[in-house]
Parts: sequence; C-alpha cells; structure tokens
Amino acid sequence: MKQAGQIALLVLALPASALAEVDVSEWLCESCPFEDGYQSNVEAGTTYVSDEDIRYGNATGYDKDGMYLNVDGDGVYSRDGYRQSWRVEDLGLDSRVVTVEGARQGRYGYWLEYNEIPSRVFGTTETVFDYNSGTLLLPPAWVPAGTTDGFAALEDSLKTRTIESDWGFARVGGRWIASDAFEVYANYSRQTRDGIDIKSGSSYTQAALLPRRIDYATDQADVGVRFRIGSGTLTLAYYGSYFDNRNAALTWQTPFTAPPGATELTAAEEPDNNFQQLSLSGAFQTDFWQSVLAFSVAMGRGEQNENFLDYTSNPNIPGAALPRPSLQGEVDTSNYAVTFTARPLDRVRVKLAYRYDDRDNSTAVDEWSRVITDVFPSGELQENVPYSFTRSRFSAEADVKVLDELRVSAGYDRNELDRDYQEVAEQTEDIGWGQVRWRPASWFELRGRGGVSRRDINRYDEDVAVSLGQNPLMRKYNLAYRYREFGELTAMVSAPTKPLSFGVTVFSADDSYSESKLGLTSSDEMRYTVDLSWKVSDAISVYLMHGGESVEAEQAGSAMFSAPDWNAVHDDEFHHWGAGLHWSPAEGKFDLRLDYSNGEGDTAIRVDSNGVASALPKLTSSLDSLRAEMAWHFSERLDLTFDVRYESFMTDDWAIADVAADTLPTILTLGASPYDYDIWAVGVGFRYYIGERDLQLAD
Amino acid sequence: MKPHALTRRILAQLVLLVALITSPGLLAQSDDSEPEYSRKGADSCFACHDDQATLAVFRSKHAIRQDSRTPFGHGQLQCEACHGPGGEHAGRVRRGQERAPITAFSSGSTLPVMEQNQFCTACHQDDLGFGWHGGAHDMEEVACSDCHSSHAATDPVLVSSMQAQVCFDCHQQQRTQAMKPFAHPVREGKMDCGSCHSAHGGSSDTRLTQQATNDTCFGCHAEQRGPYLWEHAPVSENCGDCHDPHGSNHPGMLSLRAPMLCQSCHSQSGHPSIAQDASGLPDATPSPLLLGQSCLNCHSQVHGSNHPSGSKLMR
Repeated sequence: MKQAGQIALLVLALPASALAEVDVSEWLCESCPFEDGYQSNVEAGTTYVSDEDIRYGNATGYDKDGMYLNVDGDGVYSRDGYRQSWRVEDLGLDSRVVTVEGARQGRYGYWLEYNEIPSRVFGTTETVFDYNSGTLLLPPAWVPAGTTDGFAALEDSLKTRTIESDWGFARVGGRWIASDAFEVYANYSRQTRDGIDIKSGSSYTQAALLPRRIDYATDQADVGVRFRIGSGTLTLAYYGSYFDNRNAALTWQTPFTAPPGATELTAAEEPDNNFQQLSLSGAFQTDFWQSVLAFSVAMGRGEQNENFLDYTSNPNIPGAALPRPSLQGEVDTSNYAVTFTARPLDRVRVKLAYRYDDRDNSTAVDEWSRVITDVFPSGELQENVPYSFTRSRFSAEADVKVLDELRVSAGYDRNELDRDYQEVAEQTEDIGWGQVRWRPASWFELRGRGGVSRRDINRYDEDVAVSLGQNPLMRKYNLAYRYREFGELTAMVSAPTKPLSFGVTVFSADDSYSESKLGLTSSDEMRYTVDLSWKVSDAISVYLMHGGESVEAEQAGSAMFSAPDWNAVHDDEFHHWGAGLHWSPAEGKFDLRLDYSNGEGDTAIRVDSNGVASALPKLTSSLDSLRAEMAWHFSERLDLTFDVRYESFMTDDWAIADVAADTLPTILTLGASPYDYDIWAVGVGFRYYIGERDLQLAD
Repeated sequence: MKPHALTRRILAQLVLLVALITSPGLLAQSDDSEPEYSRKGADSCFACHDDQATLAVFRSKHAIRQDSRTPFGHGQLQCEACHGPGGEHAGRVRRGQERAPITAFSSGSTLPVMEQNQFCTACHQDDLGFGWHGGAHDMEEVACSDCHSSHAATDPVLVSSMQAQVCFDCHQQQRTQAMKPFAHPVREGKMDCGSCHSAHGGSSDTRLTQQATNDTCFGCHAEQRGPYLWEHAPVSENCGDCHDPHGSNHPGMLSLRAPMLCQSCHSQSGHPSIAQDASGLPDATPSPLLLGQSCLNCHSQVHGSNHPSGSKLMR
C-alpha cells in the first residue's frame, strides 16, 4: 500500500514536462490492438406478448398482445482518430432510443439523439365525450340531468377512451475544442408530448372528468463557452426554454342540467411561456491548503403572455372588461452560489458554502371580477397574488481523519426563507449533524450519521390566513415550525479479492410539528436496505437485495371551522425484494441472466372524527417481475437470444375501485379501474457481430 | 487500544503531518527511490494482462492514437498514464516474493480516493464543473472508478438505460423507491438519474441539474412553469412540497393521499374540511371529496390557472 501511495504521489507531483521526459522511445505499443474500421452488433428478434393491458405498455411500448418485431444494437467506426458510434434500443417499440455520436477527439464532437417514452395510464376508462374541432361534445341524444343517475343516455353513450400520451425527445448538439484553454458547446432539444390525460371540468356544483387532448412542445437551447485559466475553469452559458401549448382552451359541453348559456364551458389550458438564463460558473484550485473556490452566478427571466380568455363563455352574463388582455407575467430569478473547500492539514478537510436563490414575480397586480363556474358573477373584485421568495443557505462542514481507520465529520447549515403574501414572512432552519466512519479494514466500513434540525418562523400571520378564508389554527406544513431528528447507520463489507459483499443501511427521521393545531402534526419515516452479492465462481454471480420504507404521518382537521375535531393517521409502507443470477462460463456456449423483483406497497388511513374511529380500506399495490435472458453463442459471429419476461401488477385503490361513471351523483367520472394484469412476454432472436468480436493482441 | 497509546499515536500522526506540510523538499528527497516506468510500456503490460476486459480500452475513448491527450496518444504513457510507473511491478519476481503492486482503481484499492481521482482529473478537470467541489460525492470521497468504467467500450453510467443501476449500487434507498407503483420510468430504463441530478455538479442541496428544484422539474414539465395569473403558492416554491419524485404509493407521486394531502393546508370557511372516511365509499354514501380525483374533481387547475375567473383553480 505504501508503495502504491508513493507511486501516486510521485506521478501527481510530477509536472507535465517531467512526464514528457520519460523515455518512451521504445514504447512502440506493437501489441496494442488499436481499432480502425467498423465494429458493431445488431440484435433482431420477435417478442410475443400474452395479454393486452395498456399499463404494461407504460414506458415499455408493449401495450397490446401479439407479436412485436424489435431491433437493438450498437456500433463504432474508427479511422485515423475519427470515431463515430451509434446505439439503438427498442427500435420497433414506442419506447425507441436512437443515438449517434461522432468526434475527432480533441478537436470537435457532435451528437444526435431521439427517444420516445410511452405514458400509458388507463385502458379501462370510458367517456361520453367526442372530440371535435377543439371541443369535447356530448352525443346528440344526450339527456342532461341534475345528477348522474338521471343520465338516461349514459349507458348507450359510453365509449372506451384510453388515457395515454407519447413523449418524444430529439436532441442535437456539438462541441468545438479550439485549444486546451477554450471550448464551445451547444445543445438544442425539442420535447413533445401528445395524447390524452384527465382533467376535470366543473360547473357550479357538478363536474365531469374529461379526456383532455394535450399537445405540448418545448424547445430548449443550451449554449456555452468554457475557458481554462491556469488551474481553474470558467463557463459562460445561456439556457433557454420555450414552451408551446397548441391548445389555449379546454372547451366542453356540460352533461348536467345547466342554466341558459352555461351549457358549453371553457377553462384555460397551460399557457405558453419561456425562461431564459445566463450563468457564469467556475472553479479555481490553489496549492495553498489544496483549496478550491467554486462559484456560480445565474440570472434568469421567465415570461408568460398568453392572451386571456373572457371571464366567462356564458353569453348571458354581461362581460366585464379585463384589466389587461394578457398577463404580461415576468418572473426574475437570481441564483448565486459559492463553495470553498480546503485541506488545512493532511487529515482535515473543511467546506464553507453559501447559496442565494431569489424568485421575484414582478407580474402586475390587478383587480379581477370572477364569474363563478360560468353561472353567476361573484360580485367582488379579487387581486392576483404574484408570489415571490428569497432563500439563502449557509453551510459549514469539517471532516477529520482522526486515525487511519476513523473519520469524523460534522456540519452546520442555516437556511433562511423570506416570502411575500403568505402566512409566514420569515422562516429559518438550523441543522446540525455529525458523522463517524470507521474502516478498520479495507473490506469493512461502518458509518453512523445523525443530526437535528429546527425550523422556526418569525410568526404565523393569522390575519393573512383569515384573509385567505383559512381557519386561523391551520399551520401549513411547509410554513410551520418543525423539529426534526434524523439518523442513519450503514455497514458495508466489500473487497474485490473476496467473493462476497454485503451492505445494510437503516435510516430514520422523526418530524414534529408541535405548534400546529391543524394540519400535519407529525411524520416519522424509516427506511432500510440490505444488499448481498456473491461471486460464486468466475462464471457465476448472484445477488439478493431487500429494501423497505415506512412513513407514519398524523394530521388534524376541523370540520366546524374551529378547534380540531378529527384527525387522520397515514401508514405508508413499501417493501422491495430483488434477486438475480448471472452465469457466463469462461469458455462456455452461453450467457444467462435471471432477475426477479417484487414490490409491495400498502397505505392504511385511520380517521377519528369526534371520537368515532373509521379505517379506510388499505390501498395496496403488488408488482412481481421476472426476466430471464440467454444468449447462445452459436458461432463466432452469431448468438441466438432468448428472452422470457413475466410481470404481474395489481393495485387496490378505493378512490377508483367500483366507481363507475355514475357512482358519484355530482361527478361524471371516467370509470377507471385499479390495475390488474399478469403478462408473459417471450422473445427469440439473434445477435450478429460485424467486425472483430473479441480483441486480439497484435502480432 | 489504551488511551495513552491512542494519544501517542495521534501525537505521532500530528508530528508526521507537520513534517509533511513543512517539508516541501520531501518529495525531492525521495528521488533516489522514485519508481521506474516499465521498459516497453503497454507491451510489457499486455504480456500478462491480455484479457478482454483490459483490452476493451482499445474500444474506448481512452485509446485514440491520434488524440495526443489520451493515454495512448503519441508520446503518452499508455497504461502507466493512469496506473503509474510499472517498472517494478513488471519486473522479475523471485520465487516466494510478492509482486510489487501497481495503482488500482476499485473499491478495494489501497490508494486513497483523492489520489485515485487525481489521475482522472489531471485530464478531466473540466468535466467536474464547479459543483463537484464540496458536494456530497466529493466530501464522501467517491472515486471516479466507483461510477465510471474507464476500460469499457461503453461506460454504463453514460447510457440512460444502464445508468440507474450504477447509481443504485450506493443509493439503495432510491432503488427501492424506484420500484414503487407510481414513479418516473427509471425502473424501465427510460429515464436516468442524470435527468434530474448532476453527479459532477450542481450547487443545490441534491445536486440538481438546474439551479433550483422547480427549474429542474420544468425541464420536462414546462407546462407548469407559468407564471400563472392565479398561482398556487407551494407550486411556485417547491414541487417537492406535494410530490415525491423518487416514487410513491399514490398516483401523481403525491406524498400523501388526497384529499388528506390538501387538507394538510386547507381548512377554509364556507368549504369545511370534513373528515373523509369509509362512509364516503361507493358502498355507503359516495363522496365526491374522496373518490375519483378527490379535490381535483373540481379544483383541476391545482398547478395554477391563467383564466380570469380561475382564482379558485377551477378554470
């Protein structure tokens, strides 16, 4: 060990010029298998999916039963220092990924990427609405009623409408390295999302869940120049993001009996907006205490100026004039950060950091005359509230290597948060923590970490709460006094020379909101993980993992708008098991992987209202996933591949279970059902290698 | 260890430290025993290390002859650029004698992490960015090689579909959370940790890719950015006030089930915060406050409304 350390010290201590003095004239690298030419592998195959369930297609693309053709692969072309690579995943599916990178290393590089992510939410949903020219229309024979049980034409009008959308990401970028000291880079990306999601549309006392069309596009640009100055780097960058929503309004015909003029209703969609930011960041190292000073300064502005809709789409309500035709919204952001790290002694490392974040919403305040759900004017003027906040954080940390095998760290953080227009104007949080790492041997480490934090507020302004119609006893959990204790214990056994590695972690955090009479009053969290991997032999390795999480939260409420008269206790549990095997005989004919994972979640909610206890049914989820992959090395260039997957996913959710379209008298739902599928997917294919599969030392 | 022995040991360490700090010529004094480089460079190494995992470096970006910055570039030190002088390691070994070690990069390496990393940062300093310094990975002394495979033709941590498994080796609690029924598509390999976190940089508490939590979320969810005419205060401040981005038992990755989540902050006059229990289920008196989308059955614009009549987030 001492010698290795000495070698490292010497190499690092040697300046580049000294390295250049090493005589390498006989270092001919004659046996080096430099690659010139093309090398790739292409895998093509077909997969049979046993059953159709749209949820199984979430992020995978396998949302229907039957056969799928698929192609994966990657390749590299190298010649005279030019290198181009490509990679394809799931080309035949809606989850495809294509990337291309090229570079003449040290001079320039470029990249292109396209990927899709299918979001598949519900396949069990039904609706009475048809989409036509921007409006969700009821069937011609629809019979409105005051409650859903009066919808005479409901049963004949329901049509299946899946809730799904497709995300697409396209990215192109490049880098030009002008010199060792100067580099320019640029990225442009376009992200799209189109499909259908769920949005409710409300009338006065009723609402309908709508299958809303979404059609979003976001263009983003990221351009920068990087300078290297001595032992430091500086990066000047621009970031711009431009969001475009092709739908400015959501318009629907209400299925409920409505006053004249209020049969077709309109809500605003998410407005077009943009955000631009200029930043300068850098890091400078000095030999003095091996210190590093790093900083970042970023100034940004967000704008939103979508034209407003009218106060109401009801022609029978005289329209008041809008204060202005669009928001002309502006939010300025400032983010500054500076970090200083140093090693004043060989065994002592310190860190000081400060961060400042400001969101200044300078959107003008006006008075607005609301029309309540397109039915009647509120008769009162209401001002918009442009929320702003300033957040700063100071942290100090020291790490001391007390002994070769013992390290002790401690730190203190101070957070300050000032807000406008909210119940709490000034909030602080003090956090103190300590950590001990004991490593008596290179293969064993024990780590304990713990601390406390206290969030204080200058005062909870009940006048502000009352002006917002709030019960003055309510303490919003993100604004409330909070005392937190947390601790984590980790043990790790790991050494490459030993075939076994083992790790266990336990984390606990208790939050007390002791000054809150209404709202969240406590939250206790416990997490643990166990991880075991065993290299049984050169050919076989196995792993086993387990993790769990438990959160118990308590809250108090008041139905009478006075003192607490009910409370609820939430028990959120989640457990995960994973196990697997990799078998790859050194000179064997195959490579086999088996992976199994299981996730079980449940949430129990107990409600005690005026002394009467009630428990909601458990919310549960259960996921079992098994995958077996085998490649049979048929020849030097050809592998036959076999892939078997099984997945079972079930949820029990009282929010949607047995809730048909007309179960709720005042809400027309989409009748979604909890998830429940068992699906097998079996694939066969081949992988063909082009170019040399294995590298051989040159003769 | 007895207390006085411990004290002696600490004092000895302190004396050694002071000597190291105050003796700039210490390294120079050790020139006599300076390790030597091998006689033939990589050709010496490959006499023994000819396995595919080692040779894969020739399919990586580290072995481009025409790029003089790479270890195998013209005039460079080949294997010994990273592994250090290997003269003694490659030399003859008498029977029974242990071969001299060479710098290794792995969890079992005897070389301190900071020194391992300096081999990498000698060339990759720019890749660290400003946020590495003082970040959790830096302070916890995570080695570059803990995440990166420098010999591999394709470094798994740089490929979206593989990256999370590398991160999960240490971040095991997040691996459990990614398995939850409502989570970003990390388990499926369609999103990586780097979509939100910058392992090398970022000055925010959790090393996010953007300056603030919300800015990071808006990278994909720009429709929520606003500013809206009618803002929902916590949305403007921190998406994490309501959402658990690593996964949740609840749809929308909410931290609690609605309506209780909303009732943690809202108890309005004229809109009482009524306890929602089993009496609101379909087999009793179905409650529009409990079932379907709960509060969002009416207040659908929970992220903000740009409608002039949208102050209650219903338009």
